[in-house]
Amino acid sequence: MSRIIADMVAFGKQYIRSGVAMFFAFAFPILLILIFGAIFSGSGDVKFSMPIQDLDDGPYSDIYVDILRNITVVEVKMIPSDEDFYQYFEDNDLNTAILIPSNFSEQIALALAGDHGAKGLVTVYGDPSTSSFTTLVEIVEFSLTDLGNALTASTPVVGYLPRVPEELGGLTFMDFFLPGVVGLVVMTNTLYTITSTCAEYKTRSYFKLLATTRLKKHEWLLSKFLFYTVLLIASLLLTFAVGMALFDMTATITPLAVVFIAFGVFLFLSMGMLLGSIVRDPESASAVANAVGFPMMFLSGIFFELESMPGYIQAISKVFPLTYFNDGLRATMLEGDVEVALVNLAIVGVLGLVFFILGSKLMSWKER
Amino acid sequence: MTENVVEVSGLVKHYPPDVKAVDGIDFSIPKGMIFSLLGPNGAGKTTAVEILEGLRSPTSGTARVFGVDVTKDYDQIRGRVGILPQNFEPFDMLRPAEAIEYWAKLYDMSVNRKDIDAIIDRVGLSNRKSSLSKKLSGGEKRKLGIALSIVNQPELLFLDEPTTGLDPKARRDLWKLIEEIREKGTTVLLTTHYLDEAEQLSDDVAIMLKGKIVARGTPSELIAKYGKMTVVVLAGAGKEGLYEVSRRGITATEEEGDVLVPVSSPAEMRVVLAKLASIELKVTDMYTRKQTLEDVFLNVVGTKMDEGVLAK
Repeated sequence: MSRIIADMVAFGKQYIRSGVAMFFAFAFPILLILIFGAIFSGSGDVKFSMPIQDLDDGPYSDIYVDILRNITVVEVKMIPSDEDFYQYFEDNDLNTAILIPSNFSEQIALALAGDHGAKGLVTVYGDPSTSSFTTLVEIVEFSLTDLGNALTASTPVVGYLPRVPEELGGLTFMDFFLPGVVGLVVMTNTLYTITSTCAEYKTRSYFKLLATTRLKKHEWLLSKFLFYTVLLIASLLLTFAVGMALFDMTATITPLAVVFIAFGVFLFLSMGMLLGSIVRDPESASAVANAVGFPMMFLSGIFFELESMPGYIQAISKVFPLTYFNDGLRATMLEGDVEVALVNLAIVGVLGLVFFILGSKLMSWKER
Repeated sequence: MTENVVEVSGLVKHYPPDVKAVDGIDFSIPKGMIFSLLGPNGAGKTTAVEILEGLRSPTSGTARVFGVDVTKDYDQIRGRVGILPQNFEPFDMLRPAEAIEYWAKLYDMSVNRKDIDAIIDRVGLSNRKSSLSKKLSGGEKRKLGIALSIVNQPELLFLDEPTTGLDPKARRDLWKLIEEIREKGTTVLLTTHYLDEAEQLSDDVAIMLKGKIVARGTPSELIAKYGKMTVVVLAGAGKEGLYEVSRRGITATEEEGDVLVPVSSPAEMRVVLAKLASIELKVTDMYTRKQTLEDVFLNVVGTKMDEGVLAK
């Protein structure tokens, strides 16, 4: 045990003195939380600018513009009617704009009088490659429906009642995001670090040097496991505290979440050791770790829900161990679903064991 | 009878398809001796030593340390052996004192601050003990390597090219340290491609070439066997001087503007000096020097060696 502690202390000192490593353990998750929190929470502060040119200036176009003005996320900006709409769009570098034609009110009046061929049409003009375009199109659709209802004095006969399961009550995107960040941090800090550590230890003959001492391979890995488990639990607590303080999250740290971190560290350290056994130098270590880690980052449900992705992506995500880590962590931290969490924990544990056995077999401290 | 700490017999290490890194070598090292494996890069020195360190498996032959077969039972002697590997690099972000404490614990030894300071003092790093290892000079890093290799107070110390790439002062400092270690009774197996180092430090030398030992003995035995005892140096005599000397029937060579006349006995010396006295030679100086392992290496291998590389 004293060898394991000695190795852990020595490794920890080197790790802590390396500013880059500490950044990825503590600053990186907090930065992610801050950035994503700023983007996805407090939507009332977000305003979509909506330039409108009203060539009609009639009673119905006035009502429509008022409807748009009443939408809290929309900031209406009127384009003077004497400007050429398309030239104005170009000159002002706009992404999206709405053109209300001069016959808008007339067409609506005709339609209301029973002319089935008449229709008040607005033009939504813009760049569909921008993310705001889709949102603005949805806003226009919604607002026109609202206008139609107002004009016909009709009340919708169907609708929806928003309800969420009790255990998910009050959850926000940040609650969904936090376990994903924890998964990301656990993976990057262990998989990437241990792969490059193995490469460095090979290149600088540290493994050979260690092989001359009484330290055993499994003791070396165990010391890394203990170090990263403590480090990443601390990282989780800090990230969670920041999230709670700034974004009023309702996710909770359960004992099972702490166990998940330990299992995740074991899983990704073992994966890193396996990758480290095949790389030759730090350069190839970085490439190999990225080749494995990068797809996991985006296809394991860290940033986006897997359910919203195409079927084949969902199928691919099942291959990645990080998916089970994220699913399990969310189950315990957000839903309190112990059963689902335990199933995922078991998968993480078994995968970790498989990688550990393979890595131990393939990783040699000695020469052929 | 002197106890042998290391015994190697018929040791072979082949790599497919046809690389013979070690090709059937035999040697033994008595207790308390500094034994040098001398040879150019690629001669097989490190491979042979790493087999003895339990880091490689031989293709055939036996390698015993303290009577133990290192291929099977190295764990039995691990604590009695110290190792400074080739191209040793310390852990950059640890301070020397921390590295020594760490290494001692990996050998299950408990060390206190006084023990650590004693080792640091012994290797001459007292004024650098608080610096991060990455800030140490090449010589200081190698000293730290030796500190780690002796932290378990080994009875046998493997030093694999400990002074390669170091400046002359750093090399001399390390020689002194190695001699002090030997004086404490530690047996040392040194690999080097520096002939002066082997000559200065070794009680026994084996010259390795292409996986084989081509010469073996104490430095003076090798000089006596493969060289002449003394060389008369005619400094600055040049090619003209070589022509004149050769014309009088004296065997000589020219090296960097000097003419060298090897002499194997006092009688031969008298004859040579008499002949030289009869020749009008333009020399800047004339003196005698003993032959060195460098001369032996030249005679045995047929070429010189510089920084481990054989001259063509």
